[in-house]
Amino acid sequence: MKDIVSVDHLRVEFATDSGPVVGVEDVSFTIAPGETLCVVGESGSGKSVTSLSLMRLVEFGGGAITAGALNFVRADGSTLDVAAAPPEIMGQVRGNEIGMIFQEPMTALNPVFTIERQLTDGLMLHKGLNQPAATARALELLRSVRIPEPERRLKQYPHELSGGMRQRVVIAMAMACEPKLLIADEPTTALDVTIQAEILALINRLKRENGMAVLFITHDMAVVAQMADRVVVMYRGKIVETGTVQQIFEAPREDYTKSLLAAVPKLGEMKGKAAPERMRLIGDEAARATQTAPEPREPQVLLEVRNLTTRFPVKGGILRRTVAQVHAVEDVSFTLNVGETLALVGESGCGKSSCGRSILRLIEPASGEVWIAGRDIGALNRRDLRRARADMQMVFQDPFASLNPYRRLKAQVAEPLQNFGLASGAELEARVLQLFDKVQLPRDFMNRFPHELSGGQRQRVAIARALAVNPKLIVADEAVSALDVSVQAQVLNLMMDLQEDLGLSYLFISHDIAVVERVAHHVGVMYLGRIVEIGPRAAVFDNPTHPYTRSLLSAVPIADPRNRRFADDLNFKPITSPIFPLGHQPAPSLYDQIAPAHYVLRA
Amino acid sequence: MTLPAGQYRPAGSPHAGLPMTYILNRLLSVTLTLFLITLVTFAVTNILPGDVAMMIMGTQSNPEALTGLRESLGLNDPLLVQYGHWVGGMVSGNWGDSLIFKKPILGLLGQKIVASAIIVVLSMAIALALAVPLGVWAAVHRDKWQDNVSSSAALLGVSLPDFFWGIVMILVFARWLGWFPSSGFVEPSVDPLGALQRAFLPSLALGLGLMAHLTRMTRSTMTGILSQEFIRVARAKGLAERTVIWRYALANAIGPVITIAGLQIGYLFGSIIVMESLFGYTGMGWLTYQALLNRDLPLIQDTVFVIAAVVMLTNLAVDLLYVVIDPRIRLG
Repeated sequence: MKDIVSVDHLRVEFATDSGPVVGVEDVSFTIAPGETLCVVGESGSGKSVTSLSLMRLVEFGGGAITAGALNFVRADGSTLDVAAAPPEIMGQVRGNEIGMIFQEPMTALNPVFTIERQLTDGLMLHKGLNQPAATARALELLRSVRIPEPERRLKQYPHELSGGMRQRVVIAMAMACEPKLLIADEPTTALDVTIQAEILALINRLKRENGMAVLFITHDMAVVAQMADRVVVMYRGKIVETGTVQQIFEAPREDYTKSLLAAVPKLGEMKGKAAPERMRLIGDEAARATQTAPEPREPQVLLEVRNLTTRFPVKGGILRRTVAQVHAVEDVSFTLNVGETLALVGESGCGKSSCGRSILRLIEPASGEVWIAGRDIGALNRRDLRRARADMQMVFQDPFASLNPYRRLKAQVAEPLQNFGLASGAELEARVLQLFDKVQLPRDFMNRFPHELSGGQRQRVAIARALAVNPKLIVADEAVSALDVSVQAQVLNLMMDLQEDLGLSYLFISHDIAVVERVAHHVGVMYLGRIVEIGPRAAVFDNPTHPYTRSLLSAVPIADPRNRRFADDLNFKPITSPIFPLGHQPAPSLYDQIAPAHYVLRA
Repeated sequence: MTLPAGQYRPAGSPHAGLPMTYILNRLLSVTLTLFLITLVTFAVTNILPGDVAMMIMGTQSNPEALTGLRESLGLNDPLLVQYGHWVGGMVSGNWGDSLIFKKPILGLLGQKIVASAIIVVLSMAIALALAVPLGVWAAVHRDKWQDNVSSSAALLGVSLPDFFWGIVMILVFARWLGWFPSSGFVEPSVDPLGALQRAFLPSLALGLGLMAHLTRMTRSTMTGILSQEFIRVARAKGLAERTVIWRYALANAIGPVITIAGLQIGYLFGSIIVMESLFGYTGMGWLTYQALLNRDLPLIQDTVFVIAAVVMLTNLAVDLLYVVIDPRIRLG
């Protein structure tokens, strides 16, 4: 069959103050009708630039196609070189013959227009439908993307819809004119794993039903394994390797592809292994070749959380009184041993971050007890709490936002030492040097500013800062979620090395279940503020017992093209609201012990 | 990770806070503010040096007659009683008489507020009509020459005082071109066109001064909106660029611009004092000026209250307009 898209030696440049910068160069690939081509790469690889070029949207970001052809077979069978098409023609192609969906469902819809208006304007423009006909078609589209209560959605505004529903609307919009090519640019990156599974299944079904081609842009190798027919691997604006999904995953030729694949944790690969394992990094085997399983030591409890409950007020009415409460953390209890990692997993809004923050009293829990190294954190007054913070530090998700852009890194790492009066003068300098060594950052980075570092390097600085006061507990809240996969593997390995060397305990808060499987000793699954299942990592992953744990694990994409899970429509139970009226007394969390240390919430 | 909005609403009330709640909320706060305004106005005018009775009868008047007048005006009553009289009078429609004009204040204010409303509305309309396109133009061509032209124009408007523009207007449009009368005022009920003609030049002068902030606000909100994903989505749908900018983007950007415009109404009442005097336009600004100049305390008190109330109500109107523009506000 004739290819619907053939990209030939595409080159895109961006004008900057210091002259043109090449976004992508020498990019060539083809897509056949009914085929899914995944373009995969880390940030800055040029994958998005490539997709935006096909829509000629790259110009709105300051880019220009300076060489190459982008041939697209139009509905009437003629071939159009998109790179040279005049704006009027592109207006007919965009949204009509090529549909596109983007990463951020929360911002992809215009907040001040109704869903109906946003679904119908393209139809009226391209298909010449009148308003009633366009509305009827919009309703049909909402049904085809399986949105509950589609009639009501038409009159609603985007903010009234959940993230998953918005992404369904965005897909409906892209599908409105039955395009022959759908470009999906990281369509599930911002979504929870169950919603991601639903959206991936939806794209697969629509593709099958309409016979359209899909250009799927992603950074996630697991998603590639689940979705792709063929794969293009990009790195720094160039194509590294092209092949079928089996070739790429099972017999990658290029070193970059190999290292990318190695760094991806595969759900299920830890089966039968007792202890966490370092992430695989090509060329890193030697670094810790001598690593042996740590001596099994007598478990010693560092952190004990008993019946922790945190609520946030919902204000309303004329006097801004509290009218309801968000039950963010609901009767949560667990222990964490010295030198071990407890992972809290769950989807957005499940309370895992609130739980971490409540433990550190960054937000005040409503009730419950937190004991760290035999000290009752909840009973401390302000001064003692400040001192106690030396034992418990935090690493945040966004390494761009958690460092002060105006201060040198040296000063930022030294700050906790100064705050606690632990070092000064030459000693301070020496301690900061040691910390930079510990997180494997070059010493000359000390005098730099945050913007001069990459995301992974910044996260190392954040870790160095947390380590400065020799904490016993580190709460890592999505600490590697914002990083590229190879960088993520490096930072995780660093964290595991530090754990081994310093006996650190981690409360590892994450939505990434494949990573958790690799790094955690114990896992707690959170849902609506409660831990629904907790136990040793092997027990939870090998014998998931609570229905929510099971559905969560079934939604995780596996980085193995032979193990595909999202062929048919999936509908996970939507998460209900954690908001309850004042005075609501929730039932206590009661657990059944089904194996040693493996507990499941009683229904 | 961001929390999906829409999940965090109390069960059973998908629209926690309908527009009605919001509107009631705002009305209540306006009423409270108006009450505070009467307090402040009353306090300030009573602290001001000067004696109403003395002002009525002159400094050389008979002390006994003064005492009698004070008694009959209620000036010897406790302040709380006087305040009660004033507010009670306003509520019942008896706003007292102006000392200098020897007329009921209510009628006087009613007449002048209409005159000034023409200038205020016209100048704001001129400012918005210039500022919004200029700001959008600058945002669309961000960091290009158009952007510089727009911000220079805006800067020129704001860096020169209003009365300077007033003088320029008189010179150009009245003296040289003779298109508009240079000064004066006619009753809009008598000669609507003539009233508009006389209001136009002062409004244009004021509008140029107002334009600067509005242009910058339009530019900055538009710049923010144009970088949002839904703009890219709109383009990906194949919508024409003018639809993307003038419908999709502007509908989102206009809210903050209107908010600033509403706040500027307050400044406008300060500016019209100078501008109306310059153009011999006898509106609220001119009336305020006369009242202050002649220490007409009852008139000052009522004028200040009316201006404050108008500014308050304008901002209330803006807030309500915002509800229409942006559906997210309806959640209160």
